[in-house]
Amino acid sequence: MHLLSIRDLVVKFRTHDGTVHAVNGVSFDLDEGETLGLVGESGCGKSVTNLAVMRLLPKPAGHIEGGEVVFQGQDLLRLDESEMRDLRGKEIAMIFQDPMTSLNPVLTIEEQMVETIRAHRRVSKSQARARSLELLTMVGIPKPETRLRNYPHQFSGGMRQRVMIAIALALEPKLLIADEPTTALDVTIQAQVLDLLQRLAADLGTAVILITHDLGVVAGMTSRLNVMYAGFVVESASTPDLFARPRHPYTVGLLHSMPRLDAQPGEPLIPIEGVPPDLRRAPVGCPFAPRCAWRLESCWTGMPSLEPIDQTAQIVTTGPNVTHRVACWNPATPDEAVAARPLREGFTPAAAPAEAVA
Amino acid sequence: MSGVTGQPAPGAAVGVASTGTEPGRPLLEITDLRMYFPISSGILISRHVGDVRAVDGVTLAIQKGETVGLVGESGCGKSTVGRTILRLYRPTSGRIVIDGQDITWAEGSTLRAMRRRMQMIFQDPYASLNPRMTAAGIVSEPLEIHGVGSSSERRERVRDLLATVGLDPDYGDRYPHEFSGGQRQRIGVARALALHPDLIVADEPISALDVSIQAQIINLMERLQGEFGLTYLFIAHDLSVVRHISDRIAVMYLGRLVETATSRELYDRPIHPYTVALLSAVPIPDPAIERKRRRIILTGDVPSPSDPPPGCHFHTRCWLRARLGNPERCVVEAPALRELASGHAVACHFAEEVDGSPEQVLQVTGEGMGGSSSRRADDSPTGRVAAAGPGLAT
Ligand SMILES: Nc1ncnc2c1ncn2[C@@H]1O[C@H](COP(=O)(O)OP(=O)(O)OP(=O)(O)O)[C@@H](O)[C@H]1O
Ligand SMILES: Nc1ncnc2c1ncn2[C@@H]1O[C@H](COP(=O)(O)OP(=O)(O)O)[C@@H](O)[C@H]1O
Ligand code: SF4
Ligand code: SF4
Ligand SMILES: [Mg+2]
Ligand SMILES: [Mg+2]
Repeated sequence: MHLLSIRDLVVKFRTHDGTVHAVNGVSFDLDEGETLGLVGESGCGKSVTNLAVMRLLPKPAGHIEGGEVVFQGQDLLRLDESEMRDLRGKEIAMIFQDPMTSLNPVLTIEEQMVETIRAHRRVSKSQARARSLELLTMVGIPKPETRLRNYPHQFSGGMRQRVMIAIALALEPKLLIADEPTTALDVTIQAQVLDLLQRLAADLGTAVILITHDLGVVAGMTSRLNVMYAGFVVESASTPDLFARPRHPYTVGLLHSMPRLDAQPGEPLIPIEGVPPDLRRAPVGCPFAPRCAWRLESCWTGMPSLEPIDQTAQIVTTGPNVTHRVACWNPATPDEAVAARPLREGFTPAAAPAEAVA
Repeated sequence: MSGVTGQPAPGAAVGVASTGTEPGRPLLEITDLRMYFPISSGILISRHVGDVRAVDGVTLAIQKGETVGLVGESGCGKSTVGRTILRLYRPTSGRIVIDGQDITWAEGSTLRAMRRRMQMIFQDPYASLNPRMTAAGIVSEPLEIHGVGSSSERRERVRDLLATVGLDPDYGDRYPHEFSGGQRQRIGVARALALHPDLIVADEPISALDVSIQAQIINLMERLQGEFGLTYLFIAHDLSVVRHISDRIAVMYLGRLVETATSRELYDRPIHPYTVALLSAVPIPDPAIERKRRRIILTGDVPSPSDPPPGCHFHTRCWLRARLGNPERCVVEAPALRELASGHAVACHFAEEVDGSPEQVLQVTGEGMGGSSSRRADDSPTGRVAAAGPGLAT
């Protein structure tokens, strides 16, 4: 049994200007102690997927329309609010891009940590306080005794994120969801925080879902990756495999469109043309089709499911030997992935069907 | 836009008239530029209690047609350098010379004339475009302000500009909210190009854009540079992007430049301990490389520019100083930016002690600093806490 199994998760937002199709049937598994990266650009559904797992979707707009989120054998979507509250923090913890959204500005760090610990554990105030002190020390806050009595605004961004990590790990959860935990931080501070996160998760055996748009961050931090686009997982593989042999045209595009620190000067960038799709339209066909150089006629009408690249392979969904899967009618070949364009003689991307243009 | 700094007005000297472009002369030269923002306290009677030293003695020259990248962490003064060059602020001291003309204290028509030659592209393409103006109106505005052409000539020029930046000229009558982020940034670029500027200060022009759109704007800027012979000051915190687009890079830390070099040299032979750490901290999207890399994890946070550490601003986090047994010199004397090799200048008293890539540095200095041993960084007594903002010292 996996620690977490998400099946066919569908999340929509009902807003005054229409329905937002935020998550369109996402499935993945996670084992204990594993680190999974969710990558994709802004708005592709990374955060919404995980807010759904935590059952923290903004109300009343956010709706889980279907699917299962099985955590330790239990479908979280069937729990009532008090059971869910019990689970949050204790079994599943979450840290966000902006720690201020989850820290209470009018309580000291000590009050917040003690409260979190005592909400889930029968311990005295002084025991909870001692644990808080230990945790702040563990995340490398200098002068932790003094710091416990400080308010969130008295910390810098990097320190606040450390405090958040301390609170998130206070109860040694089985799963930590880190949503862009370092996006707001400077790169030298990002290095501190990622290093800390990696070390603590490994020490405690916590499974981590790391959400980021930064392929560099996941390269060093994760063992498995899901690439998301427009509310779909479009490619899934072990991290080394995904970087070495990307197959989905969007993944290929992402890897070529970002300058690398170690690139040869003058190496051109190959942008992905066009813009990300408007999720207020119900997906018809592959959402990447308007931007895709590999597209076939079928791409306009049918969304391919996530299938193994080697169709005969036995599907493994977790661990280092996870099966490389891609949701694409016409995946890039390894040579094409290097060239960032289709190399087949005379191939041109299929034109949009007439009604889609009108 | 605020041009008031509250600084005592230094003897206002009017810029000398331009003497025409001389070959070999930098298009832009700034010398020992300082921009301090006063901090005042008191509700009824406000007292000047200190300064945010956003820019604290920056010297930099940019040649015509060149792209100079300015990198550094949040709050180190990059934007303030850019805005002061464009004279959106009145500098505290120093000199700004564009094409031979001193514009440090220029005012009125002299300043207006200079502004035609220098334009800015902003980070947030939404906040920087007037939501009540059409795209064509936004691009046309600088032409109108400077009284360029007849109204039909301006219309034609606007259509040209929109096409140049890759927008459909027929979209000119749409409003900013009808465009995507990348398209809005294209409008910002078209507006900046309208008056045929020589210098464009681009302040984090891609930071607010989707990853897949960033390369479109980078490529556009590179193409326009070729077409129009533009000179760029490209401000960003992302060293990978800066390295891609820049001929030369200036690394900034707490209001000062700590290292300037060509892009290639800076990557191959970083010298300043801060640059070395910065390079080692930038993640590379390649798991094989990431697994082998060793990081220099810097201690503590960036101190506040309202209360910068004495001597070398970097001394509170400097790993080299720690290796050298914490020499006193770093605390008492600010290191000057010295040229160590042709075109490669470094502001560190002990620059000669560093030579090579982060990996080499780590080998030379012994003990690894990445992975498990990086815990030291946090326990280090040199770790300092930065204030959250000016005047909020901890
Ligand atoms: N108008 C102002 N009044 C007072 N302080 C200011 C002003 N503008 C900037 N500062 C301060 O000056 C310092 C440098 O700011 P600046 O905006 O130049 O940094 P930056 O390097 O561009 O940072 P970022 O990467 O976050 O954009 C900061 O401490 C900032 O708070
Ligand atoms: N509260 C909300 N109301 C309406 N739409 C939302 C809300 N939150 C998120 N969305 C939409 O859901 C989609 C996925 O968002 P999100 O998961 O936050 O993206 P990201 O991958 O950047 O984390 C986006 O189109 C976003 O605009
Ligand atoms: S080839 Fe077709 S299915 Fe594959 S990414 Fe392109 S448009 Fe989508
Ligand atoms: S002068 Fe001293 S503190 Fe500053 S960078 Fe050099 S060694 Fe470090
Ligand atoms: Mg998000
Ligand atoms: Mg800035």
